[in-house]
Amino acid sequence: MSLIPFAWMRASAPWLRPLRFLARRRWVRESDIDMVLAALHPAWRLNRVFARVEARRWVADDMLALTLRANGNWQGPRPGQHVQVYLEQQGVRLCRSYSPTALGADGTLEIAVKRQPGGRVSPRLVDWLAVGHVLELGPAYGELHWDLGSPGAVLLAAGSGITPLLGLMRDALAQGFRAPITLLHYVREQGQRAFVSEIRALQEQYDNLRVRWAVRDDTASELQGRFQGAHLDDSHAVGQVLACGPAGFVEQVRAWHREVGHGGVFQGEAFTPPTRTHGAPPQALQLTFARSQQRITVGSQRSLLELAEAHGLRPVHGCRQGICASCTCQLLAGVVRDLRNDQLLSEPGQSIRLCISAVHGDVVIDL
Amino acid sequence: MRNDRELDAEQLAAFGAELDALRQRTLADLGEADARYIRRIRAATRACCWGGRALLMFGWSAPTWLLGSALLGLGKVLENMELGHNVMHGQYDWMNDPEFSGRHYEWDIAGPSDFWRHTHNHIHHTYTNVLGKDDDVGYGVVRLFPEQRWKPFYRWQPLWVAVQAVLFQYAVAIQHLRLDKLYKGTISRAEVAPLFRQFNAKLLRQSAKDYLLFPVFALLLGGSGLAVLLGNALANLIRNLWTFTVIFCGHFTEQAVVFSPESIVGESRGHWYLRQLRGSSNLTGGPLLHILTGNLSHQIEHHLFPDLPARRYAALAVEVRDIAERYGQVYNSARLGTQCATVLKRIWIHRLPNVEPAGA
Repeated sequence: MSLIPFAWMRASAPWLRPLRFLARRRWVRESDIDMVLAALHPAWRLNRVFARVEARRWVADDMLALTLRANGNWQGPRPGQHVQVYLEQQGVRLCRSYSPTALGADGTLEIAVKRQPGGRVSPRLVDWLAVGHVLELGPAYGELHWDLGSPGAVLLAAGSGITPLLGLMRDALAQGFRAPITLLHYVREQGQRAFVSEIRALQEQYDNLRVRWAVRDDTASELQGRFQGAHLDDSHAVGQVLACGPAGFVEQVRAWHREVGHGGVFQGEAFTPPTRTHGAPPQALQLTFARSQQRITVGSQRSLLELAEAHGLRPVHGCRQGICASCTCQLLAGVVRDLRNDQLLSEPGQSIRLCISAVHGDVVIDL
Repeated sequence: MRNDRELDAEQLAAFGAELDALRQRTLADLGEADARYIRRIRAATRACCWGGRALLMFGWSAPTWLLGSALLGLGKVLENMELGHNVMHGQYDWMNDPEFSGRHYEWDIAGPSDFWRHTHNHIHHTYTNVLGKDDDVGYGVVRLFPEQRWKPFYRWQPLWVAVQAVLFQYAVAIQHLRLDKLYKGTISRAEVAPLFRQFNAKLLRQSAKDYLLFPVFALLLGGSGLAVLLGNALANLIRNLWTFTVIFCGHFTEQAVVFSPESIVGESRGHWYLRQLRGSSNLTGGPLLHILTGNLSHQIEHHLFPDLPARRYAALAVEVRDIAERYGQVYNSARLGTQCATVLKRIWIHRLPNVEPAGA
């Protein structure tokens, strides 16, 4: 229930500038203003982005497309990027990345959520979230992009890797990209082929688009098994290559592209971190400092604080033994181990303490 | 005084392991109820502060002025203790909610939060009651333990303590500025300049809000600016006296122990736990006392587990008391009045130099 219409609330964003200024200078507390704004409209905030669920629609047996409409603070991502979607579960604000499959004017976006059995966020998004609910969105990030001048495009998707590629492709077609496009989507079962009717409609509209599905568990399917170069026929395999899927899939495509490589640019994006863990040789682990844009190769025994300092960074810190919480930092991706009890933490966006956390696989932290 | 059993390295390790396990059990259990609790505390704080400020707009009418000032004072107490202090310890960081993020919370008090996070979270909690390291032991103006070197200045310390209690928020605020070192010349003016800028900005905001903006607002509404100004002053006084009392009763009671800087060289986790237990004292009382003290009435549990949500301390206290007993450690706990009296006694006795035993 909201006291003012959505459109007014969106349009108000520029008028709140003086309040934003005061909040930034800490004359007023942002959370207090947010409380008042949220009482007027559940998706209204001073700076944070909240979006209302406008529609839900099944696009595969296990994938739900959600149409969201964001408040006036939303900057809008580029096609192919991810946005963080926040959901509170048992008192913890969890976040997951989803790629918009369509971006509309007026702050609307469509994301597709695949139900991950045993997951903490996706089952709840799929089963519980209803039209009218409000979700928080985080900033967009991601490097995938479409080169409109390319002589062609090969899109290779596995599972929910279809989502950023569909978003990119829709945008490119709308912008008049008429060179040949080949889309290959790898799934396990027939029912997991997502957005089939939308893709078929695009095919009818644009004759430069070719789509094939590879269904692993179906011998009657057009293509079978995992990705192999033979799945692409040569006449189409020109221009840029974009791959999105689990880490193993992207690596496979990358290896193929390196070998066969026909000049086009390759972009790959994996939505699972490479699964290297504790037992692996220490030199295999990568630690990325996101804000300072540095990546170092590290061992799994020393704390993140020591590693950052050894690398010349000067993170804020205090007691160096997990007491004072001065060195709290956000874990962006990967798994860290609490040095005191070997507990593993892997929740993206979680606060961790640098002085008592060590890497446990490849890790990205907000430092 | 105390009658603690001395623990060897092995016993200390076992002692530490038991407390670690307790911490782990509680951590694993954090969830919805804790999140709901801190949000309710914030809602109560807002209701008190905003309600108090609204009542003060009615001017000098005795019931509204007194109630308004008291409500605002209560709001500030809640904000500083159960909300601000605990959130800034990172107790609710696991919620991953930016509004309860320990690193970014700014509280309604004269001192900047960043100063507090350093002097309190880091210095005081790491070096609890270590002489020469923990400035909270008397804040440099009060001598509380015979181990502290006497200076003529301490002769008048009951007076200094009274002034400090009334102006407690400022006493805490300037702690980080290292005025003593600046005065002695061991640090340069340039070194503390950024700190002074941050300090002045916060002080300006706080004073302007309480003593200028709201009084002017009252004038514009046709009320009394002076009534609002004095109401705010009373509210701040209530908060100052209360926070002073709670903090002094936490570490300087009769049975509280201080430590030499040498005793913590190469300290194990077990020894750190032991020091927290010996240096802290609890206050017994009902749920209201616990909330108003920000659960620092469970000072021992707070010092053992500074980053666990404070609402858990009451339950933890049962187990901590049991562990302390099994390891032969005194569990220092008494009513607020009793603890407070022993602190005042310390302030009175140690204003004079130590009396050497006759014949020594």
